[in-house]
Amino acid sequence: MKREKATTLYFGPQHPGITGNMMIRLKVEGDTIVKATTEVGYLHRAFEKLVEKRNWIQSFTLMCRFCVPEPDPVENTYARAVEMIAGIEIPERAKWIRVLILELARMSSLLLWHAGQGHSLGLYTMGQWSVGDRNYLLDLFEELTGARIYHMYVWPGGVRKDFPEGFGERVLKTMDYFEKKLPDYDNLLFENSIFQKRAQGVGIVSPEQIIEHGVVGQPLRAAGIKSDIRIDDPYEVYEKLKFDVPTQTDSDIWARALVRREELRQSIRIIRQVIDKIPKGEVYTKLPNPQKWTIPAGDAFARTESVRGEVGMYLVSDGGNKPRRAHFRGAAYVHAVSLLEDVLVGANIADVSAIMNSLGTCPPEIER
Amino acid sequence: METFLGKIKDRISVNFDLEKSSIDIEKKRVDVQIRKEQIPSILRYMKENMSFRHLMHASVVDWLEEGKFEVIFMLWAPKEKIRVFVRTKLDRENPIMENLDMIWPQLNTYEREFKEMYGIEFTGLVAPEEFILEDWDGPPPMRRDFDTEAYAKDVFSERIGREDAQDVRETIAKRSGEVIPDFAKKHSR
Repeated sequence: MKREKATTLYFGPQHPGITGNMMIRLKVEGDTIVKATTEVGYLHRAFEKLVEKRNWIQSFTLMCRFCVPEPDPVENTYARAVEMIAGIEIPERAKWIRVLILELARMSSLLLWHAGQGHSLGLYTMGQWSVGDRNYLLDLFEELTGARIYHMYVWPGGVRKDFPEGFGERVLKTMDYFEKKLPDYDNLLFENSIFQKRAQGVGIVSPEQIIEHGVVGQPLRAAGIKSDIRIDDPYEVYEKLKFDVPTQTDSDIWARALVRREELRQSIRIIRQVIDKIPKGEVYTKLPNPQKWTIPAGDAFARTESVRGEVGMYLVSDGGNKPRRAHFRGAAYVHAVSLLEDVLVGANIADVSAIMNSLGTCPPEIER
Repeated sequence: METFLGKIKDRISVNFDLEKSSIDIEKKRVDVQIRKEQIPSILRYMKENMSFRHLMHASVVDWLEEGKFEVIFMLWAPKEKIRVFVRTKLDRENPIMENLDMIWPQLNTYEREFKEMYGIEFTGLVAPEEFILEDWDGPPPMRRDFDTEAYAKDVFSERIGREDAQDVRETIAKRSGEVIPDFAKKHSR
C-alpha cells in the first residue's frame, strides 16, 4: 500500500492561535506546510445587504461592526464616501477631531497587536500589559463618544459631539503615560530573544507577492516601500501634520513588528500636534431629516489608512435615500486569503499563528 | 492636472474602444466603460504599460431596472497618484466574463465572492466551490431581487413559544394592555 506523505490539519475555527472566526486547512509534511487554504464563512452578517435597506444615517450605525478591533477607520471611510457623493464640506474642527479619533484607534489597535503577536509566540505577559493599558484609551473613547468599542462617532457631516471640558489635557496625560510605558514594551517584547529568534526570517512576503496580491499597510512598508494613504492620498488634515512613515527592508515578521513599534510612537506625536493645533468652531454640518435625505446619483471610493493598511469603501447612490451599494475592502480581504495561502507554504506549523497576526488577519473584514 | 488626466484617457482610447468616459479633476479620477471582452487586455495594459500597479478594489453593482450588472475595477498609480475606474456591463440574464486572476491573483478572491453573491460566472476560474456561504441552495443573495425576509421565512421556522412575538411593540402592548402611540405604529410591521 502506498503511504500518503501529506496530512491534512485543520487550523481553526476553534484554535487558540487563530485570529478570529476562520479556518485554514493545512496540508503538512512533517511539520512543514505544503498547501494552505483559507476557509471563511463563520461570521457572515450580510452588512452590505442590510445597508441597501437602510437610509444613509441608519447605515452608518452598521459600519463600525465591519471590523471589531478597529471600527473607526471604517466609519471614517463611509462618512467620507457619503460626503464625496453628496458634496458636503465638513467644518475644520471636525476634521481635526476625526484625525484624533483615528490615531487613538490606531494606538488602541496596535496595543491589541502587541497582545496578539505576543500570544502567538507564547509571550503572554505582553498581552496582559498592553490590553490593560489599552483601557486608558478606551476610557478616553467612552468620555468622548459614550462607547468603549463601537463608537458610532464619525458620521457623514462631521462628528457627533465636541470635546467635553478638559478633554485635551486628559488626552495629553494619557500620552505621557504611554511614553513612559513604551520602554517597558521594548523590554518585554522587542528585546526578548524568543521573539527575535522566532520572528526573524519567518513569514517573508516577496516583492512579487506585494504587487500581485495588492499588499497594503505594514507588510508593504516592511518591504521597503514608503507607502501610506495618509501621505499618498491625504484626507482630513494629515497634510498639516508632521509625522514619519517608518520602513524596514527584511519583509519578515520582525520587520513588520519594528514598523508597528515606530508607528505607535508616531501616533502619539500626531495626537500631541492635534491637541496643540486644533481650531475652535462647529463639529458638524447640519444635515436634512435622515428619513428624507436623498443624495444625488453617483459613486465614490474613499480610502483610509487603518492600522493594518488601506481600507476602502465603494459607495453608490442612485439618487434615493438609501445606498444602492456599499462595498467594503479591508486589508485582510487579500492578506488573509490569497496572500496568506502563498506565504504559509514552506512555513512551520508553529509559526502559522505568528504569521497571521503579523499580516493583520481580521476575518470580519473578509465576510462583511 | 486636467491635461494630464486627459492624456491618460486619450492613451486608453487609442488602444481600446471606449463606450463611455469621463474625467473628475477634483478626485483625480478617470472613468472608462468598455466591452467585457476587452477587460483582460485593458487591465493588463494598465498594469504593465501605464503604471497602474495597485488594484485598490473591484466591485459589482446590480442595476436591476436596466437588466445589467456593472463590474468596476478601481486602479491606482502609486507614483502619479491617479485613479482609473474601469467599468463594464454584463447582461443580468447571462452574466459571464473571463477569469482575471492571472493579472492580479488577488482577483481570485473577488471573483469567488461575485460568483457566490451575484451569480456571475468567470470562465476558467479555479477555486473551491464555496467561499462565504455554506450549503447555499437559494438564488445569489446580493442580487437586488432576492427577498431576504421571504427566504428566511421559507427556510427557517419560528422558535417554539415565540410565534406571536414577531412584532415586539405589538406583543408587549397586547400582553400589558397598553396602547401603542400613533408615531410608533407607523414604524411597526
